[in-house]
Amino acid sequence: MVIIALAALIGGVATGLLMDNSFTSLLTSGADFILYALMFFVGISVGLHHGLLDNIRKYHIKILVIPIGIIVGSVAGGALCAFLTGIPVYQSTAIASGLGWYSLTGITITNLMGAHLGSIAFLSNLMREIFSFFTIPWISRHLNFYSCIAPAGATSEDTTLPMMIRYTNEETVVISVFNGVICSAAVPVLIAFCYHFFQ
Amino acid sequence: MDILIIMLAGVVIGNRLFPRKYRKSNERLQVICTALLIFTMGITLGQRENFVEELLSLGFTSFLLFLIPAVCSTILVFFLTKWLMNDKKGRN
Repeated sequence: MVIIALAALIGGVATGLLMDNSFTSLLTSGADFILYALMFFVGISVGLHHGLLDNIRKYHIKILVIPIGIIVGSVAGGALCAFLTGIPVYQSTAIASGLGWYSLTGITITNLMGAHLGSIAFLSNLMREIFSFFTIPWISRHLNFYSCIAPAGATSEDTTLPMMIRYTNEETVVISVFNGVICSAAVPVLIAFCYHFFQ
Repeated sequence: MDILIIMLAGVVIGNRLFPRKYRKSNERLQVICTALLIFTMGITLGQRENFVEELLSLGFTSFLLFLIPAVCSTILVFFLTKWLMNDKKGRN
């Protein structure tokens, strides 16, 4: 799967650089429908696993541990980056608060801090999403299934979900969707919070 | 929101109607959709104006700003789930 993902990414970038025709337009404009189809098939996989909701219910409030860990870890990592890159803490934490949601973060940071930091925010959050694709198999083997959700951050409810279902289990997939919803809702609030609070 | 509704429809169909013998075919369809989705993402990136220049000039700073937060959150989630969630490996 990792090889397929890598080949698809490289092939896609090469196609985007070299071609701009009706085929590429059709694919890019139809990306939402591909995602819908994917979510439908993932839903079927989850539905085939009977008794799953009962397993999830046993966690109660503990289910919030994962999104809280992701948010705290990402903001702390962003603060650490300030010392390594020389970017002010309020900017580095705001960029790290994107949690992998590169489109929204790129635009929001551009509006708040200018095009230069907006491009860094776009690239770093894009790298986070791509990094998730390739590290989920390793994390599932060497750490635990729940930890696979952490690098995915806000993308754990959609684009990185197929990797979850392939390398973890149905229970983790449902927790992953729940985490993605929480993280996605938190991203705009977190960016604004870091931008104002750490300034 | 529409993504969640579609996924929920899949869950209901998978739970009530979908024959278990087609489970593997469903997984194959997921792989195809994932590859198509990543390919499409690649096209969007390749078509982005100045993408290669941006990657070369801002690549290292962007790399640090994704790597350290991603690693910190993974380590934190690992220890929190190991400590607070019952299943030690999170596996079936």
